[in-house]
Amino acid sequence: MSMTILELIKKRRVLLDGGFGTELIQRGFPQGACPETWNVERPEVVKEIHKSYFDAGSDAVLTNSFGGSAIKLASHGQDKRCYELNRAAAIIANEVKPEGGFVGGSIGPTGKFLQPQGEFTEPEFEESFAEQASGLADGEVDFLLIETQYDLREALCALRAARKVAAVPVFVTMTYNRVPRGFFTLMGNSVAQCLEQLGKEGVPAVGANCTLDSSDMADLVKSMRETTRLPLIAQANAGKPSLSSQGEVSYSQGLEDYLRHIPKIIENGANVVGGCCGTNPDYIRRMAVIVKKNG
Amino acid sequence: MKKEELFARIEKAIIEGLKSEAVDLAREAVRAKLDLTEVIEKGYVPGIQKVGDLWEKGDYFLPELITSAECMKAAMAVFQPELDKANIKTKTKGKVVIGTVEGDIHDIGKNLVASMLSANGFDVVDLGADVKLDKFIEKAEESEADFICLSALLTTTMVGQRTLIERLKQKNLGGKFKVLVGGAPANQKWADEIGADGYAENAMLAVKAAKRLMGA
Repeated sequence: MSMTILELIKKRRVLLDGGFGTELIQRGFPQGACPETWNVERPEVVKEIHKSYFDAGSDAVLTNSFGGSAIKLASHGQDKRCYELNRAAAIIANEVKPEGGFVGGSIGPTGKFLQPQGEFTEPEFEESFAEQASGLADGEVDFLLIETQYDLREALCALRAARKVAAVPVFVTMTYNRVPRGFFTLMGNSVAQCLEQLGKEGVPAVGANCTLDSSDMADLVKSMRETTRLPLIAQANAGKPSLSSQGEVSYSQGLEDYLRHIPKIIENGANVVGGCCGTNPDYIRRMAVIVKKNG
Repeated sequence: MKKEELFARIEKAIIEGLKSEAVDLAREAVRAKLDLTEVIEKGYVPGIQKVGDLWEKGDYFLPELITSAECMKAAMAVFQPELDKANIKTKTKGKVVIGTVEGDIHDIGKNLVASMLSANGFDVVDLGADVKLDKFIEKAEESEADFICLSALLTTTMVGQRTLIERLKQKNLGGKFKVLVGGAPANQKWADEIGADGYAENAMLAVKAAKRLMGA
C-alpha cells in the first residue's frame, strides 16, 4: 500500500497544482458557462489540464469542482447535477493520476451568505456541501480541500458535511485580506480565530489560498505558523489580474517575482504549497525545483 | 432630548449596528416633529460614513457593514411615509442602476456597493447578477438614472463593461448616464481605457466616486 497524503506531508514538502479557470478558458471554455459541466461534457479537456500539472511536478491536483456545491451550481441552473458533476470530477482526475500522485476534491464557497447577512441557514449550507462531498468521495478522491473560504462559519458547515459523507482526510484553507491590523477574512475572522477553531475540530492540515500575492502570503504563513503546529497549506495568487485593451489577461506579479517569495513561504513554515489564480503549469514546474531544493 | 443629543445617539446606533435603537430614534424624531431631512443629514448619514471609514481602516468587516446598512434602511422606512405625507422630496444623491454583467454570477461586491450607495442616500435599482447588457440600458432609461454601475469578478466578463459603454455610444446615449465600473480585475487604468466615468476599488470608494460625479 502506498503512502497516504498525510503521511507524505509529514515526510516532505508537498506540491499542489495552480490555477484552473484560466487553463479552461485557454482551451475554449466559454464565458459565463458552468466549469463543472465540462467534467461530463468535455472530460478530455479537464483531464489534459490535470495531466499538465502532474507532468509539471504536482504531487496532488485538485478536481474541477470549486463551484460544485449545490447552492453554487444553482446559480447556473445545474444544482440537480451536483452529485453527477462532482463524481465525474473525481473520476477523470483519477484517470490521469500517476503512481504516487494524489487527487484532492476541491470544495469552494457557495458564494452566498448565512443569516443574518444572507438568506441561508447552516443546515442548508451543510446539505449543499454534503451532496458535493459525496459525489467527490464516490469518485474516490484521496482527500478533500475546502478552499478559498471567507467565512469561518461556512467553512465549518462544509467540514461537518464532508465528514458526514466522506472517509478521506478533509483540509481547510481560508482566504484572507491584509488590513493594517493583520490578516482577516471578508467576514472579519482573524487568523488566530480560524486556526484555533479548525484545530479544535481536528482538521489535519490548514492554511490559506487566493486573494494575496506570494509576498503577502509569505507574511501570512509566518503569522499562521505563530498560531498553529498543524501542517500549513499556502497557495498564493500571482498578484491581481488586469485586462489590456487588446483583451489580454495578465497578473501583476508575473512568474519571476512570484517565485522569488516561494522560498520564504516555505521557510516561514508552509508544508504544502501550490499556486492559485494567475498561476499555470509553468509556475508549478519552477516551484517543483524550489520545493526540491528546500526539502 | 436635545437635537444634538438625538443626533449623537443616532450616529452611535448606526455605528454600533443597533437596529431597534436606530428605528426608535427615528420614531422619536417623527414624534417630536423635527425637520426629518436634518435628522437624516446630521444623525444617520454621519453614522454610516463613520462605518465606512472604520471598514476602510480594516476595523470593520462585511457583517458590520451590512448590519449598519440595514439599520439605515430600517430608519429610512420610518421616515419615508412621513416625508411622503409632508410632500417632502428627500434629496436623492442620485439614481443608480447597478448589477453584475452577463456571464458573471458573482454578486458579493456588487451587493455591498448597492447597500452602501443606498445607505448614503442614493436611489438604487439593483438588477442582480448575470444581467444582460441591454437590460442595464433599458432600466437606466426607464428609471432616468444618473449612473450605471457595472460589476465583474472575472477577466472574461469584465469586457462586458467596455461593450456596454460602446453600446451607449451607438445608441447616442454616451454621456447621458455616468458609468462606474468595479470588481477584482478592474482598475483605474481599465476604466480610463474603456471610457468609464469612474472606478472604485471598494464600496466606500464607490460612494465617494458617485458623490464626486454628482458634484456633491
